Amino acid sequence: MTVKMEASAGKLSHNTLMTYGVIIAVVGTYLTYLNVITGMAVFSFFGGIAAVAALWWGSDTIKHLCSYGLGTGVPSAGMIAFGSGAIAMIVGTKFGIASPIATLIIAAILGAVIGYTANNIINMNIPVMVMSLMELAVVGAMTMLGFATMCTGSFNFSEMVIGSMSLSVESAGVAAGGAQQFLVTAVPEYGNSLIGGAALAVIFFLGALALQHPFNACLGPNESQDRTLMLALSCGFLSMIVVAIISLVFVGFFAGTISIIISLIAWFYCYKSYIELSKRDAYAWLDSKPIIEVGGDQ
Amino acid sequence: MSALGGAAAGGEGLNMTGTIVGIVIILVSLGATYMLGASLIVPLIGIIVGGALIGFGVHFVPVGGAPAAMGQAPGIATGVAMLAAGAGLAGLFGGAWAFEATGDFLISILGGAIGGGLMMAITCLMVNATYVFAMGIPAASGKVARDPITGDSFPEYKSQGTEGHGLPFISFVGGVIGGTIAGLGGTLIYIELLEAYQTGLATLMQAEPEVIAPLAVSLAGIFAIGFFLVNAVLAAYNITGTIEGPHDPKFKRVPRAVIGCAVASAFCGLISLLLVMNIGM
Repeated sequence: MTVKMEASAGKLSHNTLMTYGVIIAVVGTYLTYLNVITGMAVFSFFGGIAAVAALWWGSDTIKHLCSYGLGTGVPSAGMIAFGSGAIAMIVGTKFGIASPIATLIIAAILGAVIGYTANNIINMNIPVMVMSLMELAVVGAMTMLGFATMCTGSFNFSEMVIGSMSLSVESAGVAAGGAQQFLVTAVPEYGNSLIGGAALAVIFFLGALALQHPFNACLGPNESQDRTLMLALSCGFLSMIVVAIISLVFVGFFAGTISIIISLIAWFYCYKSYIELSKRDAYAWLDSKPIIEVGGDQ
Repeated sequence: MSALGGAAAGGEGLNMTGTIVGIVIILVSLGATYMLGASLIVPLIGIIVGGALIGFGVHFVPVGGAPAAMGQAPGIATGVAMLAAGAGLAGLFGGAWAFEATGDFLISILGGAIGGGLMMAITCLMVNATYVFAMGIPAASGKVARDPITGDSFPEYKSQGTEGHGLPFISFVGGVIGGTIAGLGGTLIYIELLEAYQTGLATLMQAEPEVIAPLAVSLAGIFAIGFFLVNAVLAAYNITGTIEGPHDPKFKRVPRAVIGCAVASAFCGLISLLLVMNIGM
């Protein structure tokens, strides 16, 4: 397969999109570090912005990959992106302050190996396969990292696996003078954390749905780049609303509410713009009206 | 068929260069795992075998895609990745529950296999009920003249201009076999990861194994879903669209998928086991 069908001649080149996507995703994830510096959790929403930027870039990558004959439909690309991204992201969070960069590098290597497998062992012979699966793995990993950071307010593995601390009190014998002594130790609880409670699995599918939907919905003869990308933003913010609701549990009421408000406003704006772009691209638009009541002798 | 009408990629036969590079990747992953933590070599081998089983099993599942929904091709009317994910996750739940209840390795992977097979059996049954009683089409394969198991003849029932329709008995059997193998592979990956994490995380975080258990279960579960989707999509790329089951000529491509899934699983396994390896973090 060497003939390429271009879905639409976009205004933004793919490399420009990729550059913006990577930069916003990494910088956005790092901006959540303001939480640690200021000691508040209100900057968590930057993680969501980072994730949406990655999704925005990822839908364009899917467009490039799926304009070749894959044979299995667009959603499979979203599934493999998040399958490999999840593995890279969880391991990437172990690198402390370097986590976002480490996640990006691990995901890129993993994506390159899977891309090579698909292209040369399974014999797909698609020129953009290795590059696209590499990009998609990075998109999946950065989206999950962004949303997970938004949930917990931190991109550290320990913050994502420790939900709360409980105190364990043990008798430590009787001290001199007859006073009972107790040994109090803080025991971390893992079951109510983001990963321990498997809320990460919800993030996994929220991201995968937002990634695979936009091009799948907009593809066709008159697909236009700005409309597809606006739908990607809209889907990304829609997932961000749900992630913001999950984050109420981990970052508290105030920070969670700020995330919800920001994602709601952004989603509303993007959805409205998307509808306008759809009306622009449509041949005709009929606004549905309620059935007119005919009364009297008519 | 591509969504945009491009020709489907992928011919028959193995690509020798790619296969050799793939085998080198498997060996390098095994070597790196052995260097970083010798005890993790067994889980990695389990993951590689599980991945290869998923890639193998997916090829048995009769996938019809959009043409099947319109009664123009035999098989279940959805994509490979969705069906494989459905069968695999059903198997994973079955296996995970069996492991929770018994803690026995053999019973757990058999439980996973039965879970996946059962899910596919129910899906195939209900799909055929829909085809026959709702859409009013008989089951007829377009690829073979007679059903290899029952000996039923197909050409008389096949509508003109279609590749066959409905879900013939051989496809039903293929679906159940595919679900069983894929469920077994998925559960194998889950249990290997779970055992590696339960011991690994306990030493890493200096916690009791029973305290760490929920974390190990969630991590193994999320990783197993990730592995499953990667392997299922690679198998889907190998199938390129629709397949009727084990009697389909496309089934001959299966060695490529088995090698490809083993390579991808080996490297993904190395990355996922880095979490509990002693690499100074």
